Amino acid sequence: MTPFQRYQAVLRGEPVDFSPRIPIVMQYAAELIGSNYGAFASDYNVLTKANLHCAERFGFEQLSTISDPYRETAGFGAPIKFHENAVPECLEHPLADLDDISSLTIPDPWEAPRMRDRMEAIRFYREHTGDQYSVLGWVEGPGALAADLRGVSDFLMDLLEEPEACAELMKICVDANIRYAKEQIKLGADTIGVGDAICSQISGAVYEDLIWPEEKRLVDAIKAEGATVRMHICGQTKHLWPKLKEVPIDILDCDHMVDMTAARQVFPAHVVLAGNIDPVSGLRFGKPEDIVEKMRACQSEAGSGFMVAAGCEIPPGTSEENVQTLCQPLPVA
Amino acid sequence: MRTVKAPNDMSEILNTLTESIKAGKRKDAKAATEQALSENIDPQQILAALTMGMDDVGRRFKANEIFVPEVLVAARSMKSSMELLEPVLAESGYTPDHTVIIGTVEGDLHDIGKNLVAMMLKGANFSVVDLGTNVGAQAFVEAAQTHKASLIGLSALLTTTMTAMREAVALFREQGLAAKVMIGGAPITEQFAQDIGADGYATDAASSVDLARSLVA
Repeated sequence: MTPFQRYQAVLRGEPVDFSPRIPIVMQYAAELIGSNYGAFASDYNVLTKANLHCAERFGFEQLSTISDPYRETAGFGAPIKFHENAVPECLEHPLADLDDISSLTIPDPWEAPRMRDRMEAIRFYREHTGDQYSVLGWVEGPGALAADLRGVSDFLMDLLEEPEACAELMKICVDANIRYAKEQIKLGADTIGVGDAICSQISGAVYEDLIWPEEKRLVDAIKAEGATVRMHICGQTKHLWPKLKEVPIDILDCDHMVDMTAARQVFPAHVVLAGNIDPVSGLRFGKPEDIVEKMRACQSEAGSGFMVAAGCEIPPGTSEENVQTLCQPLPVA
Repeated sequence: MRTVKAPNDMSEILNTLTESIKAGKRKDAKAATEQALSENIDPQQILAALTMGMDDVGRRFKANEIFVPEVLVAARSMKSSMELLEPVLAESGYTPDHTVIIGTVEGDLHDIGKNLVAMMLKGANFSVVDLGTNVGAQAFVEAAQTHKASLIGLSALLTTTMTAMREAVALFREQGLAAKVMIGGAPITEQFAQDIGADGYATDAASSVDLARSLVA
């Protein structure tokens, strides 16, 4: 069974030898190959080398193209500054004035360098690894991209005070990311991750009214292209589940504060739960024996629809022993 | 001529102000503040009405009854009111009892959490000096000395920048600062706070107000 076959089997609800491992690595992976986060985020050669190194060393089932939230934001015209050891910085939000929504132009992923860089990573993975691994493309969700275009605090207040404009903005975001996702799928991404971290910070009612319709439109469009959807929302998402469960996602990333048992009760059996050891106290600073115990508990709580991951990205500075422990095969009963 | 308001009228205006803050109605809050000031209501009573509103916002945020957008609009409403009230308070000789120096530590550019904490502390009637992001330890020391701060708040979102907190706290102790140190941010834990010798750790912005009040009590 190849890593990709194992991954697909779990998605289809078929038996596997052990749970697939799909941790998110960024700065950690860059540093493991002697590079840095800035290079990782700005050059697909570094990103792919770092992810492949981790996949081979630790046994990941999936190769990722995640680096930071600003690839599409850059495509919309934002200047981005790269830092050696920090998340890329958006120097100016393209939508400083909400009245300028009509001035936004949906980027051509091939013409926007940072968007193209991710596509080159996908092409590289498929050319060099064939069907050995799942390849994870990525787009920002409607809330996350709108917040990146507008500025997080302004967008969050707009959600309450300018809901119609927010809906219009998020429609543009989703139009852009349907186009971007389709291009990634054409190049060989079998899975598209949707990162919508901002959603954990808003109420269930605002999510339902404003973000959910666009979230569903995005996921429906990705599914129509035949790809798997991995939804990633950092933080506590329980208050979103009543509507999120109606979005046809395949994998739900669960951050460390999420109760996997409760999530399993809410989401249909075919939705795989991924997670959810605390990346910092559990993985970065935890002991191997505690990591094993936690991951066994996660698998038990999530049932057969489970994949191994930390609650969010593996933090830089985590020992190789701990990552190896996280990724040691966890047999499926 | 100064007219003293009848208690019922006064409480009605202040109640309107508190409710405007709770609902995040900036224009209503500003109008109520203008009315309160024009009616010569004691500025400290106006301030108390604002603080009452933000306390309620903090309580509901902590209980997950409201989320970040509601806190942001409430804080912005309070800011609008304070722009009118602060000159009057200053004229009357009033200053907050305690000053907090706040910032995100060196190497870390994240500011949303830090901003929320700063807003909540202002709403709780602390004087807040916000040094921004990527702030070196020495800058905290100098600001704390300049402003005679009672508290220093350090924020970090990254595991890589947590270590800057340890160095900052060590410098504060070495310099003999009287200010208490509170820390917070996504990767921070109570254990880490204890390990580096901080005086307190808060899990979220609303809890930071409770912590700050307890540290200066």
